[in-house]
Amino acid sequence: MKPLMLQGHERAITQIKYNREGDLLFSAAKDSKPNVWWSLNGERLGTFNGHGGVVWCLDVDWQTINLITGGGDSSCRLWDLETGKNIATIKTNSSVRTCNFSFSAYQAAYTTDKAMGHPCEVFIIDTRTIDDSISTQSPILKWEITDSKVTSMVWGTLDETIITGHETGDLIQWDLRTGKKVHSIKEHTHQINDMQLSRDGTMFITASKDQTAKLFDTSSLELLKEYKTERPVNSAALSPILDHVVLGGGQDAMEVTTTSTRQGKFDARFFHLVFEEEFGRVKGHFGPINSLAFHPDGKSYASGGEDGYVRVQSFDQSYFDYTFDYNRD
Amino acid sequence: MPVADDIQSSWADEVEIDQGALPPPSEVVENGLKIVTEYKYDNDNKKVKIVRTYKIEKRVVSKSIAKRKTWSKFGDSANDKPGPNPATTNVSEDVYMQFITSKEESQRPDDGELDGLKPQTSSVIFKCRTCQGDHWTLSCPFMHSQLAQAKASEAAKAAEAKAPATNKYVTPFMREGGAGRGAGREPPGARRDDVAAIRISNLSNCAVEADLDDLVKGFGPVQKLYLAKEKSTGRCKGFAYVHFKFRADAAKAIQTLNGYGYDHLILNVEWSKPPQNN
Repeated sequence: MKPLMLQGHERAITQIKYNREGDLLFSAAKDSKPNVWWSLNGERLGTFNGHGGVVWCLDVDWQTINLITGGGDSSCRLWDLETGKNIATIKTNSSVRTCNFSFSAYQAAYTTDKAMGHPCEVFIIDTRTIDDSISTQSPILKWEITDSKVTSMVWGTLDETIITGHETGDLIQWDLRTGKKVHSIKEHTHQINDMQLSRDGTMFITASKDQTAKLFDTSSLELLKEYKTERPVNSAALSPILDHVVLGGGQDAMEVTTTSTRQGKFDARFFHLVFEEEFGRVKGHFGPINSLAFHPDGKSYASGGEDGYVRVQSFDQSYFDYTFDYNRD
Repeated sequence: MPVADDIQSSWADEVEIDQGALPPPSEVVENGLKIVTEYKYDNDNKKVKIVRTYKIEKRVVSKSIAKRKTWSKFGDSANDKPGPNPATTNVSEDVYMQFITSKEESQRPDDGELDGLKPQTSSVIFKCRTCQGDHWTLSCPFMHSQLAQAKASEAAKAAEAKAPATNKYVTPFMREGGAGRGAGREPPGARRDDVAAIRISNLSNCAVEADLDDLVKGFGPVQKLYLAKEKSTGRCKGFAYVHFKFRADAAKAIQTLNGYGYDHLILNVEWSKPPQNN
């Protein structure tokens, strides 16, 4: 299929996400305006104007009513999706690196960077009613993380825990009633760039700069599978319908000039979930892929790259016909 | 009489205006297709017509999605018309998934940082015609020596030997281990001296001993060399005998030189036969 090229950003894409039903695709970039697109035809629904700098993260609630974004202008913003209005702006001490609605969207979590003399902090806010009072309301819970910066985060089962991925490669599960660590593991040696839940939320996949992506159990943080590549992995996503994993990455932008320009480094790479073996690649980007997302129906996926483009690629029939050869012995 | 006011501009100006103005863009919707036609200048300042054809589809979706579809555009897209705006949305070229079989993947060497820059030392795509080495025929070090010929044929033989036996019919004579007449077989009653002797015939009349020496010295040490000459003229009679030190060298020489073109003649080389009349 011919991919759709979405050229709404002037700078590198930082994160892309579909809403629950998959009709809308959200993209955030290092320019200040997150975009929302109709995923079917790539038509742009609108832009969310208001941030004053890079937007690191975004998330949409399950009913597709509100959007939360966090950026380098030390603010976390909530938006009304129908009109694109900025409902509330939460000022923070340093830039907001990750933000996520909980499954029920009754709460949201965001984390800030360790910068400008301020520590890395995790905030849980109440988002049952979203209006401008959120800008001033104090968080339900907040705690400091002293050792290393949080670079990615997902909500755990039943909105009882959150799992943070760190700059050092640590994964920590936090209990939201107490704000204390439940589990802490270190399976990665470098920064965890991205974490994405499986469709049912029982597993999540991490993408790390140590050139691997790993699959973990959400409740016990048990390491289940490992997918190895030979380049830093910036993003990994799990197919909602097949036992497939897609990995995207490439060298850091600063290292691109010192290494070979082989196109293959910027491919989206498909691995089998269980056998941990690569079976396919899709070319397209001319820079590292920064963020990947499967459409909730599993029939297409989107990738956002350092080149500033979002590519929405529908799968051909050959993808669905492909079966992985293995010995049953 | 034409009135001066009627002439509003000279024809030259008109032409210029025509060139500057582009026809207005048009949009036609007909039988499920939307056709948008635009004009613009390309990099070479030439007028370009761009026709984009969109297929209008109807899809059945859930209520919530249908409701969202009625939302009006906002932010930087507030002024966009319905349908994708070509400024932000494009369809790029076909990209297909490349499937990788697991074997290829595991056998492939680790992607080196500078893979593409390495010279292709391991997989040479050309081969010397003379000696089968990793260089061009022109720069072959054995180019002028007969040794090379021998080498080449040896290589060819090795390759042949490696080739699996076909189930073609082979005459008993040609079969491996069959009675290879002549070559390789010691003539009965041969004198010890003649064991490594070969007879070269169909030599040119102008051949001299030095030529012959050149021809055979590549194969190994030569014990004796006899070029038959016409007594009266001193010219070559057309054949010669060469006694090698080793039989193997002689066999090699026969194999290589038999049928070898030398001085516009094709040489005939065989084992020297013992004199029949004794």
